[in-house]
Parts: sequence; C-alpha cells; structure tokens
Amino acid sequence: MDRPDEKRFRILVCIDGSDESYRGLRYAARLGGGVDADICLLFVRPVDQGLRSGGLEARVVRENLLEWGLELPGTKHLKKGQEILTELGLMSDDWAQQIVHVDKQGDPLGDNSIIYTSRNGKKVTLKLEVAPDIVGGILEEAEGGGYDLLIIGASERWQTGIIKTIWDPAVAQKVVARAPCSVIVARELEQGRGHLICTDGTDNAIDIARKDAILASRCNCPISLITVVPETATEAEGAEILLRTRQAIEEEGPEVVESLLKIGDPVGEIVRAGAEYSVIVIGRSNKPRKWWLFESDIAYQVLERADNSVMIVR
Amino acid sequence: MEHDTDGTLLRTARAALVSGQGALNKGWHGLFHIPFRAWLSYLIARRWLFIAFAVGAIILNLPQPDGLTREGMIVLTMSVMATILFVTEPVPLPTVALLLIVGEVLLLGRASSEVARSLMNDSVLFIMGSLMIAVAVVKQKLDRRIAFLIVRFTGTRTANVCMGITLVSGVLASFVGEHTVAAMMLPVGVTLIRLTSDDPAQVRRLAAVLLFSISYGASIAGVGTPSGGARNAIMIGYWHQFFYNPTDPATWKYAVNYMRWMAFAYPLFLIQVPFVTAVLFFTFRPKQKNIARAVVRLRAQLADQGSMKVSDWSTIVIFAVILLLWIFASDGIGLGIVAILGAAAFLVVGLVGWEEINNGVNWGVVLLYAAVISLGVQMKETGAALWVAESFLALLEPFGANQGFGLWAAVIALTTAVTNTMSNGAAVAVLGPIVLKLAVVANEEPLVLGFLTAVASAFAYLTVVGTPACTIVYASGYLRTTDFLKAGWKMVLVSTIITLFAASMYWPLLL
Repeated sequence: MDRPDEKRFRILVCIDGSDESYRGLRYAARLGGGVDADICLLFVRPVDQGLRSGGLEARVVRENLLEWGLELPGTKHLKKGQEILTELGLMSDDWAQQIVHVDKQGDPLGDNSIIYTSRNGKKVTLKLEVAPDIVGGILEEAEGGGYDLLIIGASERWQTGIIKTIWDPAVAQKVVARAPCSVIVARELEQGRGHLICTDGTDNAIDIARKDAILASRCNCPISLITVVPETATEAEGAEILLRTRQAIEEEGPEVVESLLKIGDPVGEIVRAGAEYSVIVIGRSNKPRKWWLFESDIAYQVLERADNSVMIVR
Repeated sequence: MEHDTDGTLLRTARAALVSGQGALNKGWHGLFHIPFRAWLSYLIARRWLFIAFAVGAIILNLPQPDGLTREGMIVLTMSVMATILFVTEPVPLPTVALLLIVGEVLLLGRASSEVARSLMNDSVLFIMGSLMIAVAVVKQKLDRRIAFLIVRFTGTRTANVCMGITLVSGVLASFVGEHTVAAMMLPVGVTLIRLTSDDPAQVRRLAAVLLFSISYGASIAGVGTPSGGARNAIMIGYWHQFFYNPTDPATWKYAVNYMRWMAFAYPLFLIQVPFVTAVLFFTFRPKQKNIARAVVRLRAQLADQGSMKVSDWSTIVIFAVILLLWIFASDGIGLGIVAILGAAAFLVVGLVGWEEINNGVNWGVVLLYAAVISLGVQMKETGAALWVAESFLALLEPFGANQGFGLWAAVIALTTAVTNTMSNGAAVAVLGPIVLKLAVVANEEPLVLGFLTAVASAFAYLTVVGTPACTIVYASGYLRTTDFLKAGWKMVLVSTIITLFAASMYWPLLL
C-alpha cells in the first residue's frame, strides 16, 4: 500500500450496495470536494467458505458470471459509486487510471483497486478487498490507509443491550468501536441540515468541536452547538460551556450559527435536538477501544438511540 | 454486510502478539508483556472454539448415563463439539476434520492406520469424483445452450419462465448436483434480471422469483438420484454399513442402487415443481407478469452460438456414459468409482485440465465429509447412536410421536432444524447413524427413516448457508437474507406435507 500523504484529507466510504452507503458517499463527495481530499470507496468480500458452496469453489461461479459478461456484486456496487461521483462532478473521464492487484488470503481474486487521479493530484480509489470478515477488511484498510474519516451505512439492525452488543454486534457497531479515525454512521443522511456538535466543556470536547467545525466548513455545513447540563447545575454554567466552545471554533474561522442549552438527560436531549440536523457530532472517551462496548458511554448511547446520522470523533 | 467472524479481533491480537514491542523476543516471560486487550480480543474472536471445548470438557466429566459406554460418550462429545464448530465456524471448517481425526486417535484410542482407513470409502470417492465432474461440466459452457432451450420453450410469461427454470434446474441437479446447476444457471437468471431493468429496485421481486426458482428447483431435485448430492451417497453408505449382510438375503434391500433410490425420491421432486413456482409467486408477487423484452433479447444473445461443437457432444456422451454406469454398474463397482472414472474421462479427453479441477474443487470439504462419515461409523460402533436414538424416542413418547407418522414428522423436523444451520451433507452425516438406530429401536423401517432424513436435509430453504444452491444465488447480490425466510417457511411446509404423504402412501408400495 502507498504511504498516505498526511497533508491530504482522506475519506474511506464503505459500500455494500445499500441506499445508506450511497447516501454516505454523497456526503463524502461534499466533504471531500476540495482538491486536497481523497476518497476511497471500499467493498469487502469475505473469503469463500468451500462447504457453503458444496465443495465447488465460488471462483467457478464467479468465472462463469464474468464469461457471461456480468459484473460481480462488488464491482457493480463500486461502479455505481463511481457513477454517483461523476454525476456530482467530483470525477471526470480524463482522470489518470491505475490498476493495482494484490494476492491475498490465498484467494485468486485478491484485493483489486482502481486509482483515479486528477491533474491536480486528487485521488478517488475503488477498492474491492477480500478479508476473513467484513469488519476485519474495513479496519485493515482504515488502519493502513491513514484515513481521517470513515463513513459507513447503518444498514444492519443495530444491536442494543450490553450482551447483544458484545456478543453479536452489527458491522457498523464493531467498526465504530474499533476504528482508528473518526466515523460517521450514516442513517437517512440528508445534506444541508448542518452539524450539531455536542460539548461538555472539557478540553477533549472543545478539541473535538474544533476539529469537526473545520470538517463541516469543508462542505459549508452550518454548525450548531449543544450542551446538556444536569438539573443541579445552573444555566450560567451551560452558557459558559457553549461560549468557550464557540470561541474555540470561531478562532479557527468557521462560524457557529446556533447554540442550544438543554437541561436534563444528556442522551435523550441530544437525540431529540439532533433529529433536526444532518449529523450529530460527539466525541468519545479515550478509553481502550474494546472496553468502549462494555460501558455506558454517552456517545455510544447517542449512536444507539438516534434515528439519524451520528459522527463519532476521535 | 454479513458473515462477520471477528477476524479483526484476531488480526488485532496477532498484530499485538507479533509486534507487542518484541514481547516474544524476550523469551517466555515476554508473553506477560502482551497487552491484555490482545488476549481479550483473541478470546472473543475464538469464543465459539473455547465454548465448544468447554462444553466438551463438561460433557466428558458428567456422570456416565446408563446404557452408554465410555467410548460412546467420547464420540457423542466429539459430535456435539463438531456440531458447534460447524454452525459457528470459529475456525476454517477443514480444521474440524483435522480435530476429529486427532480426537479419534487420542481420545478413543484407535490406531492411526485404522482411522486413516476409515476416512476413505465409496461415499467419499463419490463426493470427490462428483465435485471433479461438476467443475468439468461447468467449464464446458453448456449453460448458454440450456438457457436457449428454456426461453425457447417457456414463452415470455414470467410464471412459465420460472417454472421452466425450476424444472430444468431440478432435472440437471438431480444428476449432477445442485452446486453445478446453481453455478451454471445463475448467469441465466442474472442476465434475465439485467435485461429487464438495470435498476435493482425495479426488479427486486422479479429477481427473487427467478433466482429462487434456480436454488429451490435445484434443492428439491438434489435428492432425486444418488448423484444429486453428497448426502445421498452418505445415506446409501450408512445403510450399507449398518444393515447390509451379503450372507443374509433379507438385508439385501439395504444395498440401495441408483434406480431404487430414484424410484423412492424422484417423484417427490416432480410433484414439488409447480408448488415452487406457486410459493414464489405468492410470496414475492413480481410486478412484471411478462418479461418478453428480456426473453427476446436473451434469445438474440444466445442465437448466434452456432451448431454444437465436438467438445459439447463429447461432454454429453461422457456424461451419458457416467449416468448409465451409475444406473447399471454401480451395484458392482460402487457409485464412487463411477464418479472417479467420469472425472478421469473428462481429463483424458482433454475437456478440462487438472489445474482447473484442482482450483475448482475445495478439497477441504472432501476431507471434512470423510472425517464426519468416519465419526458417524464410530457413533454406531460405540453404541452412541443407539443411546441417542433411545433417549430421543423416550422424549417423543409423551407426545405419542415415538412411532409411525408422529416419529416421521419428528425426524423431518429434527433434520430440517439441523440442515438449516449447516450443510445438508454434514447434517445427514451427523444425523444418519442416530436416525437409523432410531428406526431399529422404534421398530420402523430403516429405509423409510433414512429416506426421510435424506429428503428433509434438502429443506434448508430458510437460510443462505442451508444449501450450496442458496449460497450461490445469494452471491448474486440481488437477494436479502430475509427473502429466504419469507419464502422458505412456506417451502418447508409444502415439502414436509408432500414427503409425509409419500412416506405413508407411496413408499410402502416399494418396500
């Protein structure tokens, strides 16, 4: 894998053919529209399990489909993603094209990428990866590719409760728990309704708010702030948290259009207020990734209960 | 996105174990420097492996039940552990075969040469040979000609096309195995879908009807003849090993040959064909009642193939000879030898290369079947199968299901439950010895209960992994896992009723 250029903003979009994944891609196109951003569309195919196809290798089936001139599902989904990017004006036919193949997992198809590069160096990569499992493939790419943002559609049933969460979480749940970068879990991701950034006034939260504000400014998304204070606290304390966060953001340039002060249960208030926005942005604690699933982290609960998209910032 | 088996955790663990700041380079004490998270990740990723071993350890330490020998208990423990590993797949499945082989030597105390001998018999040769033939047949590209025949005769009504696909898939699958047919027919189904519309939303219901016609057609027919699937050869092998005695004419009926199997099972397939189409149309109700546009375009695509080539005729002739040998010579030389001879014929004539066969067959599956069949024989020899059969019967007694119709229904229900969680061949290999002993204990005809098990192992309509044909059509990307449930339960019901009807009204005429 090429060494990623650390100055460039890199977005990884997981494509599984669902509407959610394509909505996520459209959002990625908006965030990564600038020349300093690269986008990678990733489809992960689990390694074939011979017993499932009765001892006949799945490659025989694939070869037969290809000989009929039919596309394999992964290729089809990635191609549709490419068409969306072209339709949005993010790509054009005159981009240079490079094909990369890597043998992997003893699978004859292995990993295949097509890297499209514009004249000014912007890259869009279509990647078909084979991995023992889907989460493994996504995380391997996220870790190796030095991405700043990962977008994944919550197209599967989101498991709730500690036991189900630990035992059999959905793909997006696992990815969000273990990804090395910020993750947007796309649910009915609509553009143009802005980012709602959650803050509790800690240095970590303010830093996260600053980072997301810069990201939101890439797509000219309106930025709003929310803080929820307990009933025992005063409104002045909440206002002070909002002010400090706002100042930190505006020092970087972006403008905050709205500040919301709520009192009560943080998760409920954030989810309720966040329903009006494109994305709820919330930071997660710095505890070890695996333990995050075990605890009742507010970010995780917001992710679990929200009906719209949530971005977990690391 | 599905089939996540925690490989990430494994990779994290491996990365941590290998990098681990050179933990292993520090000697054994370096193990203590490996991060706790890496250990935890490894444990969670392999949780089902550890659970299987824990369950095994618990069962082995339970008090020995009356009527079960120590060896029987060990074999049962190995069967339970193997079943957990089959269903949950924490390790590559051929690993289960390796563990079973090791277990037979270390836990049962059998000589390694004896275990090695038990791994190869006619059923295993048949599985190996038929897989090689499957690759050879798929490589001949006869699918285009078959597709042309279907769309030529069925017309353009969607229902007729689907029934044509079900019938043709079924007839082919009954002789060459459902995986072969699914591999050949999937492009036909997908092409018809694509020619109807490029928008997946527009053709979702049509796709379900067309693709399930292939997979369910192949599934219902896979039991039609012994060569239709590994499960059939496995059951024939069990009857032979459990009941056949060359010196006792009363047991000769247990040497079931090709035609006798067909007499029992083929009518069931033919009766089910119209039901498949009816169930699929009732469930998915496609908008396109007529797919004239797609059929005409497909006909145009296929019309320019030219006349049959020498290789096409050679394939047909070789397969016809294999079929005749299965029918008329397998009594003497075995189904497996005929299959191996057929594979050799394809290689000798040059219709397929060894590399193509080598790449197309998953040899781990052959090893897996061999080990499971070997374990099945141990189930019988140690008395474990008899004990499970007696216990199962005792459970059924309060419900009045310990004989006759009730017992048949219970066997079908048990097989359906098992086959929907693992491959149908593995299901028959695991359940076969138990069901055959059940027949002895309940004073039922072993042929009837054996056929019920083999036939019901095809009722894996509910899940993607149930049958190879389901897995293959799912790989097209047009189906959802919930589609299998929507249509599958209706198919289970229809197939169960037809099979019970056959067992009570038709099979007695053949016994």
